[in-house]
Amino acid sequence: MSTHSNHPFHLVDYSPWPLTASIGAMTTVAGMVKWFHQYDNSLFLLGNVITILTVYQWWRDVSREGTYQGLHTLSVTTGLRWGMILFILSEVLFFVSFFWAFFHSSLSPSIELGAMWPPLGITPFNPFQIPLLNTVILLTSGITVTWAHHSLMEGNHSQTTQGLFFTVLLGIYFTILQAYEYIEAPFTIADSVYGSTFFMATGFHGLHVLIGTTFLIVCLGRHLNNHFSKNHHFGFEAAAWYWHFVDIVWLFLYVSIYWWGG
Amino acid sequence: MASVCGRMALRAAARQNVTYTPVRFCKMMNDPMEHATGIEKRELLAKAAGNDNPFDMKVFKRGAGTKENPNLIPSAFDARIVGCICEEDQTYVQWMWLQKGTPKRCECGHWFKLIEKAAV
Repeated sequence: MSTHSNHPFHLVDYSPWPLTASIGAMTTVAGMVKWFHQYDNSLFLLGNVITILTVYQWWRDVSREGTYQGLHTLSVTTGLRWGMILFILSEVLFFVSFFWAFFHSSLSPSIELGAMWPPLGITPFNPFQIPLLNTVILLTSGITVTWAHHSLMEGNHSQTTQGLFFTVLLGIYFTILQAYEYIEAPFTIADSVYGSTFFMATGFHGLHVLIGTTFLIVCLGRHLNNHFSKNHHFGFEAAAWYWHFVDIVWLFLYVSIYWWGG
Repeated sequence: MASVCGRMALRAAARQNVTYTPVRFCKMMNDPMEHATGIEKRELLAKAAGNDNPFDMKVFKRGAGTKENPNLIPSAFDARIVGCICEEDQTYVQWMWLQKGTPKRCECGHWFKLIEKAAV
């Protein structure tokens, strides 16, 4: 139907994914409540399965519409750009709330914390060990994703593959190092507001790194299947924007929580 | 002697016409126009042919608009919605349906006529 129109807009077909996404989100949240109260994460895992299946099929459909059906005209990609910009803006505000909580508690530490920051009894990480390495890794991945983008704009298939591959590799390396830090941590999320704000902020950042890495892996797979051309590759650009956002959040986390707050 | 040998070696290297760029060894991507399909491709082809407004989305500057010489509105369909800004400083648009084969007069006196235009 929508392929026979004489206007530049994409009138989307009926889709079950908004409904299944809502069911997945609801199941995940209810599953978390069940997990935290009854120590049983089965409903949470079911919610994750529903959400991941939805995400996979929804974005597969969008890729088909853009690549194989040619429905993404210039007006449509402008709309996609605005959507991604506003989504990342909402993510920025999401992280602002965690920084707000952190500074609220750390700038005037209460008497219960020993009137000091880090609170009495908390042994924070040395910011010049793994966290500094992680900063270098993410900054390097910002360079490699730019290398991939410029190669893509030049129509250089091989170097786009290489740039994306190293970006994904650095993302995975970052995640492994963060997992190692979490295992080695001498404090938990239950250790004062320090532990709460630390794990809330770095944990949500880690989740975003996982999502960003997945997004980049999808772009690498699409690139290997020749989905992109040198002037139409918004899926890649959205992944790159998202990755830079995750990178910038880490810089703020590093400077505020690890360095100043440690 | 050394400089002569150096020059000879340089000339030999230049004759071989070696390009020192890794791009030589890279797989390059296809032409974006060939890569595109569907309405995306038709839009790109229209733009390549010099038409920067393939879907007639821009505001159309009204001409004389008399009964004999009406404003011609292109459409690929049997009817199109037209919005007339009757007075220059008017704060609303006068919307109306314009049917094929039936020229129409806006309340302000301007005439409009639908003409066929192939779809993009």
